[in-house]
Amino acid sequence: MTVLFELLVSVTGVTLALVIAASLAIIGRDRLCAFARNYRTRLRAGLPSLVLLGGVLAINGVVRRIGMEVSWMIGWNITYDIYAIEGTFVPFLQSFANPWLTLVFSLTYVYGYVFVLVFPIVAYLALAEARWLRTATLAYSFNYAIGLVCYLFFIAYGPRNLLPDLVEPLLYANWPSSQLLTSEVNTNTNVFPSLHTSLSVTVMLLAYRTRREYPRWVPVAALVGTCVIVSTMYLGIHWATDVAAGTVLGAGSVVLADRIVDGDGRRTWTAAAGRARDGLRTMRNGE
Amino acid sequence: MPTSDDGPSVSRRGLLAVLATAGTGGCLQRARSVVNHRSPEQVSVTIKTVPADDDAPSVEIARRLQERMADVGIDARIEPEDEAPFHRSILINGDFDVYVGQFPARTDPDFLRPTLHSAFISEPGWQNPFGFSDLDLDGSLLDQRVADGSARRGIVGTLLESVAELQPFSVVCFPEEAIVVRTDRFRGWPRDGRLSPLDYLTLRHRENGEEPVRLAVASTDGRITQNLNPIAVEYRRNGTITGLLYDPLARRDGDSIRPWIADDIAWSSGDAGRTATLSLRDGATWHDGRPLTGADVAFTYRFFDDTSLGEGDVVVPAPRFRGRSSLVESATALDERTVRLTFGETSQSVAERALTVPILPRHVWEEQTGSADLAGVDLTTAITDALVWPNTDPVGSGPLKFASRTAGEELVLSVFESHFLFSDPPTWADAVPAFDELAIRVAPSNDTAVALVTQGEVEATATPVRPSAHDAIDEAGPFEAHAGESRSFYHIGYNTRREPFGNVRFRRVLSRLLDPQTIATAVFDGDATPAATPLAGTDWEPMDLAWGGSDPVVPFLGSDGELDVSAAKEAFREAGFRYDSDRLIR
Repeated sequence: MTVLFELLVSVTGVTLALVIAASLAIIGRDRLCAFARNYRTRLRAGLPSLVLLGGVLAINGVVRRIGMEVSWMIGWNITYDIYAIEGTFVPFLQSFANPWLTLVFSLTYVYGYVFVLVFPIVAYLALAEARWLRTATLAYSFNYAIGLVCYLFFIAYGPRNLLPDLVEPLLYANWPSSQLLTSEVNTNTNVFPSLHTSLSVTVMLLAYRTRREYPRWVPVAALVGTCVIVSTMYLGIHWATDVAAGTVLGAGSVVLADRIVDGDGRRTWTAAAGRARDGLRTMRNGE
Repeated sequence: MPTSDDGPSVSRRGLLAVLATAGTGGCLQRARSVVNHRSPEQVSVTIKTVPADDDAPSVEIARRLQERMADVGIDARIEPEDEAPFHRSILINGDFDVYVGQFPARTDPDFLRPTLHSAFISEPGWQNPFGFSDLDLDGSLLDQRVADGSARRGIVGTLLESVAELQPFSVVCFPEEAIVVRTDRFRGWPRDGRLSPLDYLTLRHRENGEEPVRLAVASTDGRITQNLNPIAVEYRRNGTITGLLYDPLARRDGDSIRPWIADDIAWSSGDAGRTATLSLRDGATWHDGRPLTGADVAFTYRFFDDTSLGEGDVVVPAPRFRGRSSLVESATALDERTVRLTFGETSQSVAERALTVPILPRHVWEEQTGSADLAGVDLTTAITDALVWPNTDPVGSGPLKFASRTAGEELVLSVFESHFLFSDPPTWADAVPAFDELAIRVAPSNDTAVALVTQGEVEATATPVRPSAHDAIDEAGPFEAHAGESRSFYHIGYNTRREPFGNVRFRRVLSRLLDPQTIATAVFDGDATPAATPLAGTDWEPMDLAWGGSDPVVPFLGSDGELDVSAAKEAFREAGFRYDSDRLIR
């Protein structure tokens, strides 16, 4: 078994265990039983959203692989500009480093992040109404799609790549094989914005919005999400600027997804279509 | 991508001033004089380098340089780029002000000829990337090619002193590099900190089983899974892997040149200069089964000189091997097995260098001489297909042949059983491959490469790691780390085509902003030797250029690693530059 494969198995296993535990504690037995009874209809209702997310992820995977070459042709190398804006914030953050924090943040960066993304999908599938599942998958899709466009246009290396004298690559130095996994997912020039941050922000905002359905999820999401966000900087992977941009992206994605799901989008479309129809009619009448 | 505009520009304020003067009926001629005077501007510099994932010391040196430049009033920024785009900027497009990086390992002083002779300015690759020209230097670069023995030593000494004076690039230091290996399956690992093509061939397997043997190594250079073109300079570091796919006429073994695909080399010298007559080994074939003939050898030298073979509007030299191939005046196939190379006036020790270039199959590369186009659009005549061809299914004649690859992950080579190593191995080295397959796994960083060794997934790190990797291995396990000094020196390269880097005085002051002694201690933890000349540590290094705690020609402007800012500013003033408050202007 290769190191990479072992790591994949462990991430899958840990995530599965965490999701099961969280499902019991947060979703609750009643909802789970109800889901077990109606899972066909629920899945059918949620299918379009899940397919959309799957599609975006698949495109994302392909484009990231070939995107780098395009990025080197059209991209804007903003690494130094980011450093000029924020200076030595990440080294400052790392001045508080100790082995325990490093362990906690390394685990949250890899395992916590996957858990915080997967659990809401399960939790919202378990709700009678498909609304939140739709919002979540749409918001995730926006995160990935907009993030990908940014990656094409901006070339940015993280602090560990520009400031090796000040920033320790804490994750990779202590746990080198984790880089085998992260390098499969992304290249080191794609740090602006931080998708770890944006998706965590999306999850936290949605947790707050669904606090009536899942009151216990709010503190868990807030804790894990915040840890994931801090870990990106603490581990020397992202700049504070990436985190700021990620926060905007994460919040913006929720707003966009909300608009569409709430029907604002549909209403706008209907209105636009109506106006176009009216326009055509006027023209025809004018002839 | 933003580029700096070097052309004269009329500022908006200047334009308003002109309009105002015109409006008030003022003297237009005076206004024109004022506006047309180039207003002094701050010296601004972009330092290109590779990210820490690829090479941490380069970024650290660039960071120090940037901070020192800022201290003396230069507007400096760093632009990290991945290795391939970095090399494209520096070596192909000349798109840089200053860069920090490692020079490919070279031992014979003749490498300075392509590196600094003005005739190579327009060529891509490590052929004068600095755009440097100096008539006196050109003269000695050609003289050392002809001279022998102590005469050559004298010329090279003077030459190195001029290079140190002129600072087309600043040598920083020679680093120690290491490889981490696993010793329980294979033995015979090199002790000098790097794996050369020959090192792979002389490894010995510890077991004598019937099962096919796979040798796996970890490389941090993912480019080998995307491109196997031996002349594509932006994809090659030292060409170790392509050096196993392609055979040269002769290989360097320590100080001597050993016949390889040629089995006999006869030298003669006469009025027409030096000549080498080589006979090729019987039965030499390409990986696709075709015979390797004298015509392939003659083709190769012609091809390196002009990859368009005279078909294009302009000559398109190969970006790699040009230093060596430019020694050859003519290459003629006398028959299937015999080739004659003429060198003009060249000493034998220099001419021998030309025999170490890889020989390419004519029937494959002749197809690649057309000018490269993009989606059918002919963009430029200065690029041939040969330069941009990824060559992912290479046909060589080397002891290993291509088997498979997964982009970004793995390259697998298998042994080429028709190779002479299996039927008629050389007497000077036990170079019969002890494996059936060589798998090169891509690791995202040096740390992961070492982890792949210690976790038993590969046998060795194929690309060098820092000597401190020794601390990461378990002494009790079957692991060893071997370090040695690399000939790939760290240096700062200046683009002398751009102002103010064309100004030798400016370059000399820039070189004095850094202290290689401190860099060797602080950046390399002492695992590096500071140097003042690219041939430091060899017999060629003149006494005057020996490192004695500081650079003998361009000493650091400060002490104990601390820059004396006022002294540095004074040095810039003496060099003819001015200050506008704290900004260095030109």
